[in-house]
Amino acid sequence: MSIPVLICDDSALARKQVKKSLPQGWDIDVGMVTNGKEALDYLRQNQVGVLFLDLTMPEIDGIGVLEANKAEKLVDFVVVISADIQPEMKSKVEGLGALAFINKPVNTEKLSVILKEYGLL
Amino acid sequence: MDLPQINQFLVKEINVGIIVIDAEAKVKFINQFVLSNTDLATDYQEQSLFNLFPELPEKWLKRKIESVFTLNTPAFTSWEQREYLFKMRHTRPITTENDYMAQNCTLLPMSNNADNQPELLGFIIEDATDVCFYQKQLSQTVEKLEISNRTDSLTKVANRRYWEERLAIEFERAKRHNQPLSLIMFDLDKFKNINDTFGHVAGDTVLIEVAQNVAQNLRQSDLLGRYGGEEFAIILPETDAEGALVLAERIRLGLAMHQIKVDEGTVIATLSLGVICICDDYSQYEEMITRADMALYQSKRDGRNRTTLYQA
Amino acid sequence: MIDIALTEEQRDCLQELINVAMGQASDKLARFLNTFVHLNVPNIELVNFDSLPADFTENYAQQNLSVVSQGFYGNEGIRGESLLIYKVNTLDDVAKILGYEPGEISDNEQLTDISSILTTTFLNGLAELIENQLSYSAPRVVSSATSSLDDHLKQLSFDWDLALKVDISYMVTDYSFDCDMVLLIPGEAVKNIQLVLERILKEY
Repeated sequence: MSIPVLICDDSALARKQVKKSLPQGWDIDVGMVTNGKEALDYLRQNQVGVLFLDLTMPEIDGIGVLEANKAEKLVDFVVVISADIQPEMKSKVEGLGALAFINKPVNTEKLSVILKEYGLL
Repeated sequence: MDLPQINQFLVKEINVGIIVIDAEAKVKFINQFVLSNTDLATDYQEQSLFNLFPELPEKWLKRKIESVFTLNTPAFTSWEQREYLFKMRHTRPITTENDYMAQNCTLLPMSNNADNQPELLGFIIEDATDVCFYQKQLSQTVEKLEISNRTDSLTKVANRRYWEERLAIEFERAKRHNQPLSLIMFDLDKFKNINDTFGHVAGDTVLIEVAQNVAQNLRQSDLLGRYGGEEFAIILPETDAEGALVLAERIRLGLAMHQIKVDEGTVIATLSLGVICICDDYSQYEEMITRADMALYQSKRDGRNRTTLYQA
Repeated sequence: MIDIALTEEQRDCLQELINVAMGQASDKLARFLNTFVHLNVPNIELVNFDSLPADFTENYAQQNLSVVSQGFYGNEGIRGESLLIYKVNTLDDVAKILGYEPGEISDNEQLTDISSILTTTFLNGLAELIENQLSYSAPRVVSSATSSLDDHLKQLSFDWDLALKVDISYMVTDYSFDCDMVLLIPGEAVKNIQLVLERILKEY
C-alpha cells in the first residue's frame, strides 16, 4: 500500500522542489498544502505517514504545526525543510518532535539519507 | 609568452599593490608595486603581516580578515574613511600634499573553487592619491563657497537669507523644547545724514564698524545678520525678554560711546532697537520679525537712540 | 522603459530563492558574530522606477538616515546596486556587534563594514542558488546626516527601471539592529534575471 505523504510550504517552487526530490520508486501518494492551517485541517481529516514541513509560513507557521501535532499526535514522521538553518532553530524543532531537519535547498541525496535512516525507504 | 607568463608579467608591472596572506596572516606574496613603494626587504615570505606593516590597526584588521575567511566574501576599505591601510610612498610627491598613498583596498577571499572555504586572502591596493587630493581641494572650495553664500559681503556678518534660515531652525527648536528665544532688530539712526555728509564710502565704513562693535557683545550661539540697508538683526537662543533687553541696552550704549573715524572726521552712530521674546501665540517665526520691527519703529517715534520691548 | 512585470510563478520562485539565501546568510553571520541572529521573512516588492522616490519619502519621512550603496555584477548580465538604509539612532550598537573597540573606527567605516558583510553574504548565497558568481564594488556612504537620499535616488533614476525591494530586519541577541535592504536592478538585468528564473522553474 502506498504511503500518504503531505508537503506543506507556502512557496510553489519549494513544494515542487520537495516533490521532485522524493526518491524515485518510493510508493507514495502526495498531498500538498500551502500553510500551517491547511496542514492541520488536512492532517485532522486524513491519515498521513510523512509530513514535509516548511517553517516560515503565513497563517500558522511550522512551529505552530509542530506544537499542535505534539498535542494531538496527528502524524508520526515530520521532516522539517527550512531556510532558517541556525543550530538554535534545529534544536527547537527537534524538541517539538520533528524527526529531522533539512536545510533548503532540498535535494534527493539529503532526503534519501534521512528516509533510509528511519526505515521509510 | 604563455598565459602564466603573461599573468606573472602583469602582476609585476601593474600599478596596483598586491599582498597575499594566509588565515594566520603570514605573508605569502607581495608584488613589485608594493615593494617599490615601501622599504620592505625581499625576504618577507612567511613573516607576519603585522610585523612587516606595524602601522596596521591590528585588532580591527584581524576582525576584518576573519570576516573574509569565515563568510567567504570580500571586504573593503576606502580612503574616504581611512586614508591608507599600508604606509606606502605615492607617485605624486610634487603635486599633492599627502604624506602617504591614499588607498582603496579590497580584501579578496582566494580559493581554487568558489564553493570552497578560502585558503588565502589577497589585498588589492589601488592608489587613490589623485582622487583624494582633488576631492579635498573640492571640499575646501565648496566650504568657502558655502561661507561666502551666507555672508554679507560688506559687513561680513550673516546675510538676510542665511539669518532667516537659522531663525526658522531656532524657532522650531525653541517651540519643541519649550525654551525662550529672543530677537533684537535695530536700525542706524539718521544713516542718510551720514551718507549725505561724509559720502557713501564713509557710510560703508560706519556699517562695517557698527557690525564689529555689536558683534563683540554676543555669545557664540547668537547670530548677527544684516537684514537690509542699515537694518540688522540678532537671534538670541535660550534668552528671555529680560536678558535680551539688558543686551540691547549694552549694545546701544556701547556704540553711542564709540567714535567711528572716517576720512572727513568722526561719526557717532546711535541705534534704535526693538526687542521681542517668543511666546506661545506665535506659530511662525515671521510673526516675531514683524513685531520686533514694530518695537523698533516705536523706538524711532519715541525719539531714537533707545530700546523698546514688544508687548502685546 | 521596458516591461518589468514578473509572473506569479517567477515572483514565487524569486521569493523562495531570497528566503533560502537569507537563511544561509543569517547562519553564516551568526557564526561570525558569535550570536543568534533572528531574521524575519523578508518582504520582497518590485517597485517601478518612478514610484520609488515617493515610496522612500513616505517610509522614511522626517528621519535621519544613513544609506550605504554597493554595486554588484556577475555572469549572464546580472548586475545592480544594493542600498542599505539605516535609521541613524540604530547605529550605536554596530561597533559592538562587529566586535570592534568603542571609538576604534569612524561611524562611516562601521556602516560600510556592516553593510558590506550583510550585502555580500546574502548576495553570494543568492548567486550560488542560481549558479552564478558575483563581484562587488566597494561600499560607499551615499547619504548621511549631511547629504540626502533623495539626491542620490534622483541621480540613479536614469539608470534603473526596477527596484527589487527586500525589507530585511536583523535582530541580534543582546542588541537590536534593523536595516532595510533595497536592490536596484536595471531593466536589462531584470530581463536576465527573468531568464534565470524561467530556467529554474523548468527544472522543477
